[in-house]
Amino acid sequence: MTLNTNSNGKYDAIIIGGGHNGLVAAAYLARAGKKVLVLERRYVLGGAAVTEEIIPGFKFSVCSYVVSLLRPEIIRELDLPRHGLEILPLDGTFTPMHSGDYLWRMDDHGKSRREIARHSKLDAEAYEEFGKAMHQLCKFVKPIMNMVPPDPTSLNPKDWSKLLFLGKRFQQLPREDRYNIVQLMTMSAADFLDQWFETDVLKATMSASGIIGTFLGIRSPGTAYVLLHHYMGEIDGAFRAWGLPRGGTGAISNSIAAAAREAGVEIRTETPVAKILVKNGKATGVALENGDEFHAQVISSCCDPNLTFLKFVGRENLPDDFVTEVMRYKYRGSSGKVNMALDGLPDFKALPGVGRHLRGAVSISPSMEYMERAYDDAKYGRFSRRPYIDIVFPSLTDPSVAPPGKHTMSCFVQYAPYELSEGTWDEKREAFGDTVVETISEHAPNLKSLIVGRQVLTPLDIEREFGLTEGNIFQGELSLEQLFFLRPVAGWARYNTPIKNLYLCGSATHPGGGIMGAPGRLAALKMLADWKKGVVA
Amino acid sequence: MPDVLIIGAGHNALVTAFYLAKAGLKPLVLERSASVGGAAVTDEFYRGFKCSTLAHAAGPVLAEIAHDMRLERNGLEMIEPVARVFAPAPDGSWFALYSDLARSVESIARLSPKDAQRYGELDKTLKKISGVTRHLLSLTPPSIDGAPSREDAWKLLKTGRGFRKLGRQQMFQVLRWGPMAVADFVAEWFETDLLRAAIAARGIFGTAMGPWSAGSTAVMLLRAAADPHPGGVSAFPRGGMGALTAAMAAAARAAGAEIRTGAEVRQIGVKNGVATGVTLTSGEEIQARAVVSGADPRRTYLKLVDPVHFEPAFVVKMRNYRSAGTIAKVNLALDGVPEFSALGSYGSGADRNQAMSGRIHIGPGIDYLERAFDASKYGEFSPHPYLDISIPSLSDSTLAPVGKHVMSICAQYAPYKLKDGDWNTQRGNLADAIIRTLAIYAPRLPEMILGKQIITPLDLEEKYGLTGGHPYHGELALDQLFTMRPVLEFGRYRAPIKNLFLCGSGTHPGTGVTGASGANAAREILKDLRK
Repeated sequence: MTLNTNSNGKYDAIIIGGGHNGLVAAAYLARAGKKVLVLERRYVLGGAAVTEEIIPGFKFSVCSYVVSLLRPEIIRELDLPRHGLEILPLDGTFTPMHSGDYLWRMDDHGKSRREIARHSKLDAEAYEEFGKAMHQLCKFVKPIMNMVPPDPTSLNPKDWSKLLFLGKRFQQLPREDRYNIVQLMTMSAADFLDQWFETDVLKATMSASGIIGTFLGIRSPGTAYVLLHHYMGEIDGAFRAWGLPRGGTGAISNSIAAAAREAGVEIRTETPVAKILVKNGKATGVALENGDEFHAQVISSCCDPNLTFLKFVGRENLPDDFVTEVMRYKYRGSSGKVNMALDGLPDFKALPGVGRHLRGAVSISPSMEYMERAYDDAKYGRFSRRPYIDIVFPSLTDPSVAPPGKHTMSCFVQYAPYELSEGTWDEKREAFGDTVVETISEHAPNLKSLIVGRQVLTPLDIEREFGLTEGNIFQGELSLEQLFFLRPVAGWARYNTPIKNLYLCGSATHPGGGIMGAPGRLAALKMLADWKKGVVA
Repeated sequence: MPDVLIIGAGHNALVTAFYLAKAGLKPLVLERSASVGGAAVTDEFYRGFKCSTLAHAAGPVLAEIAHDMRLERNGLEMIEPVARVFAPAPDGSWFALYSDLARSVESIARLSPKDAQRYGELDKTLKKISGVTRHLLSLTPPSIDGAPSREDAWKLLKTGRGFRKLGRQQMFQVLRWGPMAVADFVAEWFETDLLRAAIAARGIFGTAMGPWSAGSTAVMLLRAAADPHPGGVSAFPRGGMGALTAAMAAAARAAGAEIRTGAEVRQIGVKNGVATGVTLTSGEEIQARAVVSGADPRRTYLKLVDPVHFEPAFVVKMRNYRSAGTIAKVNLALDGVPEFSALGSYGSGADRNQAMSGRIHIGPGIDYLERAFDASKYGEFSPHPYLDISIPSLSDSTLAPVGKHVMSICAQYAPYKLKDGDWNTQRGNLADAIIRTLAIYAPRLPEMILGKQIITPLDLEEKYGLTGGHPYHGELALDQLFTMRPVLEFGRYRAPIKNLFLCGSGTHPGTGVTGASGANAAREILKDLRK
């Protein structure tokens, strides 16, 4: 056994993975007086929320690129603004259409309303109502986001009180809200929006929030919920809108890391973990790839269940049933990312010039049928011939990320299925990148002439680089059967695992993915509670 | 004056009429067409050839309902073929599922010994789960307002206890399976694509979902609650489905119900928020204490009742209730027994006939089924449809002349709304696509066709009164099931208008010919009328 020489060799807790959730968990544990060590495989902290200089002079939020879901209590409790967090608002969503028209929803309420009314007066009215309804629903869902999921099969009064609490709250909702919440939990984004709106392009762009990061189409039941999951950011929280962190999403991770360090957390990068040490069904420490070992009372993994259980723990240390369930947990990465360094800004045919519309998101989602056909391609194992693309130009909002006069363009692309029916991603990578450029060029023909550098991330690359199994950006599908008390494995949805003293704290736990931080915080609170109860020993 | 008016003489309405009459009320059933049965009828569609017009496999009707109505004594004879499902693939491979587990296992083992073993486990699992879930079928969905009534609480508790007996692991399984795509469900069990597709089909039959649609497992489990056999139901009433509803009508009459055919209801009368009776298209007005509609929710609430009697929000909800059908029906009169290439050298002629005696599943893989569904999303019918077929004349000689046969084909997907053209111009093309598909499996079949009947979703709406052409009175999606069927707050057979009730498939549990909706509705109606 090699003891770590820098410390006394003994930690209270070791966090595997320096993703934003791991850092949040570490910070909360340390603030409760625990001695915490964070081990990150890469040279940079943040997991999928990182900023890297991929092309000299151009800094990219390589994976995750916008923020809205970060829990306000985390920002407050960890005092993140003092640690350097600054979020710049992202101004609206611009959707160019093949007809030459566009839909431009702005943050300015009146302007947005007038713009929607240009397409449909009825929809402009409905949009107001919709906003109010979603606001109510977010208020209902919010406590669930801050709750360790109950066990519905247990007779423990604590679990029942949580379920009853939810039931009571549901009963207290006004009729219309009850109806809406039931629909949201079960319907498809398209069906749900069809009830509210008639403008196709509006529905197409809104429904995109329902499919981001999932291997589902806008007509797949269950996507309405994901719509809400993303809508939360537009209403709740300190920023009330989607935003870009100054310095890229890595800046969020760095501010959390700074808060953690201040609380006494020790963080080591380029320290890949190879094994979680298990003795008599109890986690006792970790072994690094270089053979070093660290020991602690509690081990918490911010990695997904595949890495945590099948790679680090090993199935020989786990009950067979549990291994079966872990293997059933669905990842199915469906998205890729194309980051481009530009010599200037592209000119969109629908609205030429460098206007405010480029300061928000540009959404390539011209119609419902377009979105659904993009999904159809992926179902049978190929990337979409015409994908849904969500574009932002971070350099417009935050000039620090590109040389003067130059720009960065971040394209989130869906669908790109992890499993291809023909060929491999290593063969198809550039073809995929070309498809993205072609698709955008249909709307902005001068794009090609502006590109000075390009990074294409396929689901395979996301898996390799960021340790996200099958390239799923949420560490597992956000489908109904993998949420709340079923996430990631039924019966093990409360951050604990069949291995004593081993906890999960990543996006594969409730309430799931996005730069939210909630899984990390809830996991830390659960660990601290278990400590108090003497469950940790 | 009758006590209760029942609109429509579909199977659920007849069940309701029976139970109300049995309880001493005087129900009057008003049926638009010349015969009873609704969508469960037998039609002579070609001279000498008779076939179940729409649904071809029966329910099954819940045992307690069949018992109460003494259906057998009222003339019903159920034929239960040895085979449940025969599934051929274009490459000539096939398997059949039988009522007998050992035979099914043996048949699957030829394709995959591993799947054969897993099939046995699935059979056991579904039996165990249906032991609990079948109670849900005859349960009135609980009220979501305030505390549950004592009766609701007791029934829920009982079901909850049954659920707990499944054990923690299985409880979680059921919770996890419900919202899942049935394609994922079957992938957890089997490796053979053909077997996966044949089992998954039960989750998408009659719905606007493909096997990759989330929630299709719930539909499969709902159907398994009535009959846990993994292949689904393959039981035919002798004389076709019309014989079943005829027996139900006889039972209702014997109990004291009156049934009038050729009596079409134009409007439901409402006074001060209370249903008072109906007006027929003939102009005749009939008063009663209560009105029960066996029609689908949209027809009932948007057509038969003047919308001024509802809150606007309710009308909006009903307009949003999804009932666009995706199923078409083709009935063929055949010159002989169809020969499936896959069965080519299998056993004797009798053996082959026996293998085909249940339902025949055409849809050799999950992707095939999903592609068939894809077309319907864009307003086209599937060029290669998924077919659920039966040849009831193999076991029922009353349906066709000696040596001839009838083939009943349910074809998916045929969307109610077509992007190009309409169903009156596309009907022939649809039949062609279906027959072309069949010819891949039974090449000589096209030459054997003597006559055919084509029923499109538009026909289902116009001739059978199914709004949107949906065979189950509304989509079987998670948001339209149980307490949400047809809409939240009104999932307990009661309308927002006093003394107006629903008893058709647009209420819980609402799939297939089980009679459960009708029996549940009768129970709730009696409660209200006895107050």
